Order: sequence, then C-alpha cells, then structure tokens
Amino acid sequence: MLKKKSKPQKPQPHTPSITLVGNPNVGKSAIFNLLTGSYVIVSNYPGTTVEVSRGTCKGIDGRVEVIDTPGVNNLIPQSEDERVARDILLREGHRRVVQVADAKNLRRALFLTSQLAEMGLPVVLDLNMWDECLERGISIDTGKLQSLLGIPVVRTVATEKQGIGHLLNALPQAAVPSLKVDFGGEIEEGISRIEPLIPNGYPRRAMALMLLSGDFTVAEKLGYSKTIHGEVSKIRNSIQKKFSDPLSYIINRLRAAYVERLFHETVHTAPKRIESQPFLRASFFFFFVPVFAFALGYKIMDMLLFFFQGYLSSAPPLGLILKLVSGSASCVLFCLHLYRKDLRTRRTVSEVLGDLTMHPIAAYPILITALWAIYKLVGVFGAGVCVDFMEKKVFGYAGTPSGGFDLWFPVPFAGKDVTLLHVPFNGINYYLGLLGQMLVSPQNLGYQLFLDGQAGLIQVGLTYAIAIVFPIVGFFFLAFGLMEDSGYLPRLAVMLDKLFKRIGLTGKAVLPMVLGLGCGTMATLTTRILDTKKERIIATLLMALAIPCSAQLGVIAFVMGSISGFYFALYVFIIAFQLILVGFVASKILPGGRSDFIMEVPPFRCPKLYNILLKTAYRVKWFLREAVPLFLMGTLALFILSKTGALKYIELAGRPVVSNWLGLPPETAEGFILGFLRRDYGAVSLFKALERVHGSVGAEPAQLLVALVVITLFVPCLANFLVIIKERGIATAALIIGFIVPYAFLVGGVLNIIMKAF
Amino acid sequence: MTEPKIEEVLEHIWTHEEEFGKRASKDMLSQWIDPQAVDSVLQDMLRQKFVHMYNSLIVLTATGRKEAEQVIRRHRLAERLLKDILAVKHDTMDSSACEFEHFLNDEVTTSICTLLGHPVRCPHGKLIPPGECCQRAKKILRPLVLSLLELTPGEEAKVAYITTEHHPRLDRLSSMGLLPGTVIRVHQKQPTLVIQMGETQLALDEDIARDIYVRRSH
Repeated sequence: MLKKKSKPQKPQPHTPSITLVGNPNVGKSAIFNLLTGSYVIVSNYPGTTVEVSRGTCKGIDGRVEVIDTPGVNNLIPQSEDERVARDILLREGHRRVVQVADAKNLRRALFLTSQLAEMGLPVVLDLNMWDECLERGISIDTGKLQSLLGIPVVRTVATEKQGIGHLLNALPQAAVPSLKVDFGGEIEEGISRIEPLIPNGYPRRAMALMLLSGDFTVAEKLGYSKTIHGEVSKIRNSIQKKFSDPLSYIINRLRAAYVERLFHETVHTAPKRIESQPFLRASFFFFFVPVFAFALGYKIMDMLLFFFQGYLSSAPPLGLILKLVSGSASCVLFCLHLYRKDLRTRRTVSEVLGDLTMHPIAAYPILITALWAIYKLVGVFGAGVCVDFMEKKVFGYAGTPSGGFDLWFPVPFAGKDVTLLHVPFNGINYYLGLLGQMLVSPQNLGYQLFLDGQAGLIQVGLTYAIAIVFPIVGFFFLAFGLMEDSGYLPRLAVMLDKLFKRIGLTGKAVLPMVLGLGCGTMATLTTRILDTKKERIIATLLMALAIPCSAQLGVIAFVMGSISGFYFALYVFIIAFQLILVGFVASKILPGGRSDFIMEVPPFRCPKLYNILLKTAYRVKWFLREAVPLFLMGTLALFILSKTGALKYIELAGRPVVSNWLGLPPETAEGFILGFLRRDYGAVSLFKALERVHGSVGAEPAQLLVALVVITLFVPCLANFLVIIKERGIATAALIIGFIVPYAFLVGGVLNIIMKAF
Repeated sequence: MTEPKIEEVLEHIWTHEEEFGKRASKDMLSQWIDPQAVDSVLQDMLRQKFVHMYNSLIVLTATGRKEAEQVIRRHRLAERLLKDILAVKHDTMDSSACEFEHFLNDEVTTSICTLLGHPVRCPHGKLIPPGECCQRAKKILRPLVLSLLELTPGEEAKVAYITTEHHPRLDRLSSMGLLPGTVIRVHQKQPTLVIQMGETQLALDEDIARDIYVRRSH
C-alpha cells in the first residue's frame, strides 16, 4: 500500500536523524512504526513503500528524526525507488543509518552494507525476522559479524516487537562498516582517476563507482559541468573497452564475491529445521486438507449436476452418490499428493500452503475458494446483513420508526434463537426527525435540506456513507489485509502474470488491481509500484473503466442477485471482457515497453490479527475522510438540482441518449450524474429510479443490466478523478475521461441493441 | 586442412547469410580479403567445390557449408574458452579467436567443446554450430550447460553465465544475487517460472530465464 507521511515535517538540517535502509520486504516500515509510534502501512508484498515517510523517535539522546525509505537491492540505482533511497543517503549532514536486513537472507543485506561503507555512513545492522531465521535452521554468528564489520549488529522480530530496545541502545555506537571491496587493477585505477573530480562533501569512492557503473543521474544531482561529464565518460569508456561484460555487472559480481566470503565466515545452516507444532500439523494434514478437498469435489460435482438437472430429477439418490464419489476422489487425490511429498519431508504447514497457493493446478480451486470466502464476508455479511442493520435499524428513516431490534443468539443444533432483549431504538434519523419537527414543519426547506428522503444531507448523504459504504469497504479491507499479510497476493501475481501480460501489465499489477475492487482512488495511488509509465497508465485506465469498487460492487451484487443469477453472471462476463479488450488494445497502441517481471515471492506467513486490524482501521479511516465529504457534496448538489428544478432540464437534455440509445427511462439520467460523485451512489439511484418507474414489480432485468454496465464503465468517482489528475497529469486524465465516457455509452448502446434482439 | 584465406572467406559468407539472410555477392569479397587475391581464392574455392556461382552470387555447397560451420564453431568456441575460462579481455578475445579458428584441429576442438560443456551460444549471444560431440553428448549424457528454461521442476543447478545484451536486466538480476556461481533450484514452471536461490524465491519472465545458462549440479 501506499505509505504516506504520517506527520508532514520539514527536515531540519541539524537534527540528528536515522535513515532506515534495506532490501525490499524486510520490515523497514514495521521498524519505522515501532521506533516512531506512528503508523505507516506494513505489507507482505515487496516494493509497497514508494514514498519517504518521516517521523520522530524519542531515543536515548533526545528526539531523533526517523526516515523510512523504499526497499533497495542495490544503491547504484536501477529504478526510481532505488534512486529515491540513494539520494536520501547522499544528502549532506550527519546522519546514522539503520540497515534493516532479513536475517535469513544475509547475503543480499551484506551487499548493501558494503555500499553503505563506501558512502562512509555510520551504520547499525538490524537482523530482522530473526524468528524465521531460527525456524529454518540458519545460525548467524553475530559476534563474529560484529567484529568483521566493525558495527553494532542487533536482532529483532519487528512484528512481535522484540529487540527494539537493543536497537535503540545500539544507535549511538553506529560506525562506518570496515569493509572495502577490491575491484582489481583496471577498475580501481578508474576509481582513483574519477575520485579527484568529485567535489568535497561527497563520498568519493561510492560516487566514482556509480559513475563507472554508468549511473549519470548522480552526476546531474551534483550540478556537474559538461567538461567533467565528458572526462568521466572518457575514463569509463576506456575501462569498459577492456571487458566484454558491462562494467556495472562486473562491479556487482566482484562485490557479490567479496560478500560471499563474509557470509561463509558467519552463517551456518544446519540441516535440521524446526517443524510446525504437532497439533497444528496434524490438524492441517489429517483434518483440514481432507475436509477441504472433499468439500471441493462435492461442490464441483454439485455445480456440474446443476446443468443436467433435468435428466437427474427422476433419480435423486444418483445425484447424491455422484457428489459423494466426486468428493472422495478429490479428497484422495489431494491427500495422496500431499502425503507423498510434503508430509514425509516434514515441511512446515506455511511452506506447504505457500507452494499450494501457486501450484499450477491446486492454486485454482484455492483461488475460487478464496473468492467465495471474500464474497461471503464482503458481499453477503458486509453488504447484506450489516448494511441492512445499519441502514434500517441504526439510521432508520425520519418520520417512520424502525420498530427497534432484538439482541439474540442462535442455539446450535436446536434450530431455535434465544432473544436476550428487545432494543426499542427507532433509528438516529427518526429521532432527528422528531427533533426537527419540534422546531420547524417538515415542509420547511431547512428541514428538507437535512432530512429529505430523496436528497437530504443526513437522511441520504450521511446515511449512505456510513450505513452502506462503511460496512462494505471495511470488510473488504479486512479481507484484503488478510491476503496481503499472508503472502497470498504475490502468489496471485505469479498466477496471473501471463494473463496480465496480454493486457500490457505484469503480475506486479495484481496489488493495485485487486485493491481497485476495494477503492479505485486508493488503488490509483498504488500504481506507483509499477515500473514503467505505460503500465501505470494502463492500470489507471482499466481501474477507472472496468473495475467496480467494493461499494459499487456490493450494491450491484445485491441488486442483480435479487433479480437473477444469470444476469449477474452476464454482467461479470461483459465487464471482464471489456477489461481484457481495452487492456489489450491499449497495450498495442500506447508507446513504450513492458517491464521485466522479476518479483520476489515472500514466504507464506500466518498473519497477525492485530496488524491486520490496525491496517484495516487505518485504511477505513482514510476512506471515510475521503468519502464522507464527497457524499455530502453529492447530496447537496442533488438537493439543489431537484429543488431548483434543474434536474428536470438535465433529464430532458439527456433523454435522447438515455432513452433512445440506451433504452432506459429518462429518470435514470439523475443516476449518471450522481455516478460521478460516487460510483455506488449512481448505481443505487439508478436502481431506485427504475424501481419507481416500474413500480413494485421491480425493474426489467435487461434494462437493469444495461444501466449497471454503463454505470460501471462510466466515469470514475470525483475523488478517483482528482487522484488521476494528481498522479498522471491533467492531459492524461482528460484523455482517460474523454475515452471512457463515450465508450461506456457505446458499450451500453450496443448491449441494448443486442438485448432487444433476443 | 583448408587454407586460412579460404576459411576466412567461407566464414564471412556464412556469417553474412546468418546475419542478413541473403547470399553474398562476388563484389563483397574485396571487402573481406585483399582485393588482388579475390580471383585466385575464388578459383580455389570453386575447384574444391566449396561454392558455386549463380550469376554474381556466391552459393555455398554442402561441403562448403560444412567447412564454414566448422570454422565458425572453432571461432565461437574459442571465444567462450577465452572469456569463461581464461577471463581474457574483450578486445583481446576477438582478435585471438580469429587466430584460434585456423589452427585448432578437430580433436582439440572436441575437447574444448567438452570442457566447456557443449555451450550453445557464444559470448555475443550467437549460436554455436553443434559438432558431433554435442550430438553424442545430447544422446548419451544430458548436456552440462543448458538454459534455465530446460530444467524441470525440482532440479538444482549452478548459474554458468547470463547472455542477455539487455544491461538493466543484467544489473537487476545481479543485484538480487542471481550471478554466475549461484545455486538455484527450479520451484515450478507453470503458470510462471519460480526459482529458489538461498532463502529467496523469485518469479521470473520466461524471456529472462531463457538467457540464463546453468550447469546441472550432478
């Protein structure tokens, strides 16, 4: 996720500061949170910190500024993220560095340590994820490492808050690592020739190596004159001529070889590994897996039989037998596969799960199960039960009492509910209505501004925001947090990479695209993790066009689900088809190449409930701060339009398009206007408008399908549009909107013609 | 053995066809060798039935093609030997390989090829024409050095060299620790290639993996 600065603070030149540096996904943000007590989102997905966060820490020597940086693999930068981190380290002034390392991946950490040494920065090495290191039977001789590097080395487990005290205590002892990589005759000679050209106050050796590696961005930063630039290139070219591989590659290789020696002196891997707890293990292998596999086989056969219902209705036991057979077959296959390999090799449960979730075959049923679970949690429980309760009981309606609700719990197996007590609460809006009526009459404009049933700020705006959107988005973020922290998302990236390549993206785009199902605005901000400009534009476009956000999806699923499963399936198919079609065309038209897909797959982890709740709370808070004002604005706009009568004119103006081309009643024009303020809001009012036209029978399914497809494809909400402008620039944003609006109506019109033909 | 001058010309004709997919013409010969020697060399080649003339185009005969492939093979194998084993610098590598191609005999060529593990491509990324020893090795033993894509899931191997000409890719891979000498294990190949190196699990494009050559550990 995008980790934004929590407290905007200007860096003061003389405050002592700590910069957190390290490879991607090693827990820099988790350490940052622990040091500063503020919160930036921690994620088990590499490369999610794209912005620099600042905070302050009350260390033992007073207040210290703490800076969190994007993860890097090399301080001779190859990407924008790495450049950002490198530039922070090169800034003048006295600063200390905490290098956060993944203890089980020390080799790659030491690669960076040697570069920090060249930069002449005082470093404390923090071996984070020490627990995972132990689990894997890796032992690191920290004492020896400390003396070899000449810097303090501490061990932490950030997610368990272990070792932070040691880290704070070690800070004053930070020292420049005593490492010096010898790059051999020619390159060393080149370094000594470039070094005198570098101005005072900069780490000469590090800069010389960057220039030799062909990274001239560093030269621009220094305000280099043309002549020096030319001289450096001359030196570089003369050395490059002597090697058949690029200099940067040779420098990396020599550095890696140097680090390898250090690594072998300090790290020993014992063949013995720590296994999962016997109970967890047994219940996973002998209960959970068989039951899951059985249920899966049973369900698949159930769905197959659904299509042949007609043939089987005469022999009901046959269906049951088939289902049981299929369930057992799947159970046996699944278990045999696991028992043959994984049970015997004594791998841990999380390792097995990590493999299964990206297994070429097993991953798909798991994906479907995960989607189903998310649907149950967000769609049924969140959008159904919670929204219903919040809208009808907690908020209620001005003028009509809700009649209160019961507190009850079900008695298992008895089929009975026990009612504890009846709460005679008639809804916030009802009481506000009573209060309002004491002061003014219900026909008063002031009363209607707040409590009008069609466009009142409280009755409609606030109630929608809190009662409808809040539960849906909250549960979605909860589910998303689970997928993120367990390490499921990167595995999804591995599975979807080939499909995403067809639409000009790589597997890496899974994070923004899935998050887009939650909130397109937030997801647009995270497109920064993508490597090329082309990919960012495609991802932004597709999210604005064809990815409905959870609030909208919740409303649509509810509306469509209540009418016909077939039409809902059709809706999903049309939208998915548009997504792939537009992505495919955009990937061919837009200039620029696709970036390489090289992605680390972090280990599968048991997510920490506390971290997920914290993250969900943070995201929901962010969402409410963005959404509630827009809801109120939208409602106000609607109120003014309807009271001044302007709404009628807009409907009139939109009539040719809406009624002739899309075949919808003219009243629905209102929904399209609202759709720009909030996407889900548009969907709701379209549904309401269709219901009003058709009376209590409800809307005609074909009309509803057209309306919902158009509102899904139609413009993103105002907040999303503003973020697109901010992230992609006004020209690109205008192009995106200029494409989406006519395209949405085009698709809707064609769909209308097709639907009428059948 | 064939005369060096003729070998030189055969090599040029062959690479011209490889690079441009077109036949060489007679007037190109003067760019490749001493213009005064053109006629005599051409006569020699025609006499030995290495080429025949088709209007002004020079067409390799089957024998000529075989001879040319042997020269190319010696040249490119020499390049690999100089670069991988002897770590000779780039400009020296090019000039020495040009000399090597003329004096290596079949037996030495075969042993160099075997020593290098029957490499498929030269350091410039071009294909090395396979010799008899390579065919034999393919049948009897599995080749020692092969592309990462050819490994099956679960197999372990050591990275031998990376042939990509795409420098940013090379930098990125090497910063992540994927370098010659790194031991890797193929975790899975579908739906996307995933490799395990140390404690890092890495998902990779097939395009990238194709350029990574590895040596099986056993």
